[in-house]
Amino acid sequence: MMELLLSTLRLSTPLIFAAMGGFLCERSGVATICLEGVLLTSAWAAATVTYFTHNPYLGAMAALIVGGCTMFIHAFLTVKAKTDQIISGVVVNLIAAGMTPLLTKLLFGSPTNTKAIPVYERFNSNALTLFACVLPFILSVLVYRTGLGLRLLAAGDGPEALETSGVSPQKVRLWAMSLAGMIVGLGGVYLSTAHASQFTRDMTAGRGYIALTALIFGKWRPIPAFLSCLFFGLADALQIQLQSNPIFGQTFPVQALQALPYIVTLLVLVGFIGNAKPPLAIGK
Amino acid sequence: MRPHFPKAAILAPLAAIAVSALVLVLFLISMGESPAILLEAFTSTFFNSFGLGYTLYYTTPLILTGLSVALSFHAGLFNIGSEGQLHLGAVSIIALSFFLPHLPSYLAIPLGILAALMGGGLWGMIAGYLKAVRGSHEVIVTILLNFIGIIFVNYLILYPFKNTEVQNPETVEIGNGYTLPLLSDFTKLFGSEFFLTTPVNITLILSLVTAILCYFFLFHTPKGYELRALGQNRRAARFNGISLETNFILVLTLSGALSGLVGVNEVMGYHHKLIEGFSPQYGFTGIAVALIARNHPLGVILSALLFGAIHNGAREIEFLSERMTKELSVIMEAFIIIVIASQPYLVRFFSKAKKEGSK
Repeated sequence: MMELLLSTLRLSTPLIFAAMGGFLCERSGVATICLEGVLLTSAWAAATVTYFTHNPYLGAMAALIVGGCTMFIHAFLTVKAKTDQIISGVVVNLIAAGMTPLLTKLLFGSPTNTKAIPVYERFNSNALTLFACVLPFILSVLVYRTGLGLRLLAAGDGPEALETSGVSPQKVRLWAMSLAGMIVGLGGVYLSTAHASQFTRDMTAGRGYIALTALIFGKWRPIPAFLSCLFFGLADALQIQLQSNPIFGQTFPVQALQALPYIVTLLVLVGFIGNAKPPLAIGK
Repeated sequence: MRPHFPKAAILAPLAAIAVSALVLVLFLISMGESPAILLEAFTSTFFNSFGLGYTLYYTTPLILTGLSVALSFHAGLFNIGSEGQLHLGAVSIIALSFFLPHLPSYLAIPLGILAALMGGGLWGMIAGYLKAVRGSHEVIVTILLNFIGIIFVNYLILYPFKNTEVQNPETVEIGNGYTLPLLSDFTKLFGSEFFLTTPVNITLILSLVTAILCYFFLFHTPKGYELRALGQNRRAARFNGISLETNFILVLTLSGALSGLVGVNEVMGYHHKLIEGFSPQYGFTGIAVALIARNHPLGVILSALLFGAIHNGAREIEFLSERMTKELSVIMEAFIIIVIASQPYLVRFFSKAKKEGSK
């Protein structure tokens, strides 16, 4: 039981970081289907820099910068160049999926993975998990209780009103998204240097999308999104347990649990369970 | 209204492709690749029967997913669920053949194609229904349906339809009646060896015909006019008595059905079975295909050929080069999309720079 709980926390950590980054980004009025790509590039940066510098903190720093920059591509394309938000998100995911194996092959000779880092050079995973559990509460206070946070919400729900009050929604979005990229970057650090000891091709395996799903399931609010991440982490942990322990002598089809997050979120989204409405300015 | 071709609509994509190709070449040379490799990869994607065969094999599904995305764009909807829809289409053929393996080919082939259309169409229809009746945003719904669909299809591949004689995650083979002829079977009739040992098959012709049908549907039928009116201005269309709900469901069903046809190429055309992870993101590439073609069904054919060639060329480069990987195609794709999608901004940016320069 304890094992399942810990496993849930471990599997939820990257989801929470990605979902919180997604929260800032979507609430500022920009759709983020690029969480997957940001997670991927930052995981790659963390593993690569840690391997070459032998310092996990430098690796984490690099991941934050790379994560921020990847999200900034999305911010620049959507806010400045006025590209469609979904298309821009797809582009960022493509860049991440293309660049990471290519650079891995250039630096390490094989496109599939970076060289492993020794255990003592790995990032402290408990610290990251702890931070992931506190972060939603910090963000909740920051966004709902401070002036800066209210500007963020206004940029997402009524950019014209914000503009009239003399604050540029574009600027708010650029800042919010760069910060969001760094938060998602922490998820990347966790994946490649704390949870594992190397970067492997496509190691995010759809976690960015699950995080986005959790954000929607949490109706675009930080603490419900955090709880959905835990719930989806639990589904993942259960799936791993069921893979190794057959019940009633039968191996349970793990696909049912894999699909669970998406199915419940779809039900929430279409209004069969409660009602989820995206920030008004999204997609405009 | 007949579609007309303003010069910019043709020049812009060409410029984007040229810029991207230039950047790619500079990138590769700066990485220390020799231009000879590029030239060799280029010739062997177009100028020999083997390379051309593979390029056309990759072009086929991209025409279909490109049409799928373009059709929904015309009605003002963004269907990014093509990936899930094509999985459902492919597995429907397997299911049909699983239960009716011994059909003669004059029944099996039309029914197989129908199954693919229905599998994909059904998955698209769910998104259309939710959009029309519950007002859910089609982008989020289709993303979620992609995952649900792909996981469901993987389950079907690994459990009910699994070929238990092999270790690989793949289904049993379809009945003989279901297989479609390869193009090399036709060239053989004329004593030629063109396309020999390549997987390009009759589905290519099917997809070309589909593109032409889409063109007539969109631009020469009342229903096509309704869909385009809807895409131009939803409110105006509604005031003219065009039903949003029916058309949302219709267009996403059709769009899904087009994606479903990818299964015909994959299952009936070449592999004759379904393999887990068979699609190298044909659905997402379809978005790029539609963008470059400016959603014109006939333009989709050309842009699908471009992306098919990029896909095949990148595989070739991976094979020839010590350092590059096939993901080069993905980067190239991303770059082309960026240039196309941010074109208004780039034009503004450069014309401003020019003005300031002349001052």
